[in-house]
Amino acid sequence: MTNATLSAEGPNPVPQRTAVAVQFDDAAQQRDADTLGMWLFLATEVLFFGVLFLSYSVARAHFPDAFAAASRHTNLLLGGTNTAVLLTSSFTMALAVRAAGTQDARSARRLLLLTATLGAVFCAIKLTEYALDYRGHLVPLLDFAFDVDLRQGALVFFLLYFATTGLHLVHLTIGIAIVLVLAWRTGRGAGPRHAERVEVAGLYWHFVDLVWIFLYPCLYLVARA
Amino acid sequence: MPVSRRPSVKPPSVRAYAWTWIGLLVLLALTTGSAFLPLGRMNLALNLLIALAKALLVALVFMQLARDTPVVRAAALAGWFTLLLLASLALLDFAARSL
Repeated sequence: MTNATLSAEGPNPVPQRTAVAVQFDDAAQQRDADTLGMWLFLATEVLFFGVLFLSYSVARAHFPDAFAAASRHTNLLLGGTNTAVLLTSSFTMALAVRAAGTQDARSARRLLLLTATLGAVFCAIKLTEYALDYRGHLVPLLDFAFDVDLRQGALVFFLLYFATTGLHLVHLTIGIAIVLVLAWRTGRGAGPRHAERVEVAGLYWHFVDLVWIFLYPCLYLVARA
Repeated sequence: MPVSRRPSVKPPSVRAYAWTWIGLLVLLALTTGSAFLPLGRMNLALNLLIALAKALLVALVFMQLARDTPVVRAAALAGWFTLLLLASLALLDFAARSL
């Protein structure tokens, strides 16, 4: 809706070197298209993780006792701490998007680095947890040992545990890489579209957080009472 | 300056983000704490409700869905709607016959 500027410059204005690609009317429309694109990608991600949650629901209904027993073998302290770390990283990411949007490059850079650091802390805690799981003989296909009566169901639980947390970890690693690249570019002549890129990366980061929000009760809190 | 199609172009306040973050941590404490109370099936319901509340906080505030355009909100819901549809059909199938 740049009619006001167009009329001021005449019917055939010389195209300016702006942040807006040729197919868009203006920066706002371009930003809306960027956001829409990321949300459509996230919709496919909902289905990607959704099928794992569906498998989990069916298996849990089928093996209720084994899922309860298996869940008690997960490390609640590390899992709970990691949830807090990831929620905090979403907070710093939201602040980073805000700072990038208000052209506060210095804050944006620091907040992006902080977000990536929190993501790395999550990964480190998760890998520590995997090592403890291995020592507890909880890794399917490698060295799995469980109460004979509940073994089959517990095996399914831990297969799903490693599949979901593993895929989540892959997503988080990609997120950390993206955030680090954006942090590096911030303030280094990143160009007029930088704030949009940070915003879209933020949507991805928050989605990875969303997946964990559902994984946490499903894996760690099945039967603690 | 071009006009954004979004209802509001003002960035959300740092205070709103901070309260959302505190709310998320309180909900995390609630879900973890409630898991230790022997509530039977209510444990599962409570865990899912709290997870949903946390997801809504993240989506509406951090992901700015509350202030985004209707088409973006529709796209955000499309994935969940499709999942709900497919999952219901799949669960019906599992419920209708033994494994």
